[in-house]
Amino acid sequence: MGGIDVGGGKGGRRALDSEVNMIPFIDLLMVTISFLLITAVWTHMTRIAADAQVPGPPNLDEPTPVEPEKRLHVEMQSPDKFVLSWKQGANVISSVDVPRKDNVVVGPGGTKSVHYPELAQKIEAEWKNFGSHRDPSDKKFDTAILHTDNETPFVYMIGVIDAIYSAHRGLAAGGSKVEQVPAFNVTFAVN
Amino acid sequence: MAIHEPGRRLMQAVPLKFVQKKISGGGQRATNASLSLTSMIDFLVVTVVFLLMTFNASGETPLDKRIKLPKAQNTMDMVDAPMVAISGSTILVNGTPLTGSTRDIEDNKRMQRIDELFNALSRRKDQWTRVTPNKPFPGVVILQIDQDVPAVVVKSVFQTAAFAGYPNVSFMVNTMPKSATE
Repeated sequence: MGGIDVGGGKGGRRALDSEVNMIPFIDLLMVTISFLLITAVWTHMTRIAADAQVPGPPNLDEPTPVEPEKRLHVEMQSPDKFVLSWKQGANVISSVDVPRKDNVVVGPGGTKSVHYPELAQKIEAEWKNFGSHRDPSDKKFDTAILHTDNETPFVYMIGVIDAIYSAHRGLAAGGSKVEQVPAFNVTFAVN
Repeated sequence: MAIHEPGRRLMQAVPLKFVQKKISGGGQRATNASLSLTSMIDFLVVTVVFLLMTFNASGETPLDKRIKLPKAQNTMDMVDAPMVAISGSTILVNGTPLTGSTRDIEDNKRMQRIDELFNALSRRKDQWTRVTPNKPFPGVVILQIDQDVPAVVVKSVFQTAAFAGYPNVSFMVNTMPKSATE
């Protein structure tokens, strides 16, 4: 049996040594571990955001932009390549092709994941060249528009959105703190 | 008084045979093993602390069992918002199935507004603005969409949510650690 020594007792007086009963103590630890293991959440759900580009009420503090902003169009209709093009209104500023390799990984339970590391690298490089909102004090974000055909499964769309969100920038979050956030807002092209 | 060599005379008085065997060194190896209580309690305490630190009181986000979510790396934490699930052709809002379906959209392969979803989300928005009139409506909705649902359905649900006053649409995904693809 374990015990805690809290000083020696002298003859005649009540002993100062007291013993902690280890059996209920270990039982308590075991029950706590069992409860925490049973209620533990092993799958962590998160979200990927998109922006529906619905215009809000007019902001009087913000001047109306004279010329349309540059936007990155990501086209994934072709099975062999992605097309990345920066457009300002109807003018194409730059266009580049990225080879497409669909590496579908099937996990336990049939869960699929698709990743495009080459596309992610290229998008990051393109944003560094042409992105308009790079200053941490700038609250606005560059916009990426995803073009896809109607039959594309959702898992491939998430793969491309994930690649777009791999480009990060700093954003001032009060004081001198700068936090890293995705550089783009993603929306869909209607076709 | 004569000095005697210590022996085992006392033990001979114990009537149990197996004790006598053990004491005399005969018989087999002991079947009882001793356990160090200190290290065992240390281990249990460390396990309890680890599990308490990773414990999430909010519980698991409700997810339709038929929906298989894709995985992604560059994700954000979940927020409290209305949940729209697309399972097969069934549409559920916060777990309640709607009368409408996405069958027509899949058959026609054309984007269109889903009226039942639009009405359900608009009602929720009205309720929210009535309950909290002084706060701006966040307009966030989370979509639980199966990995194999075609893009035309995704875009139709996205557009319907935007028309109903929810421009901040998020897609629910499973988190994948960044090291998994490196």
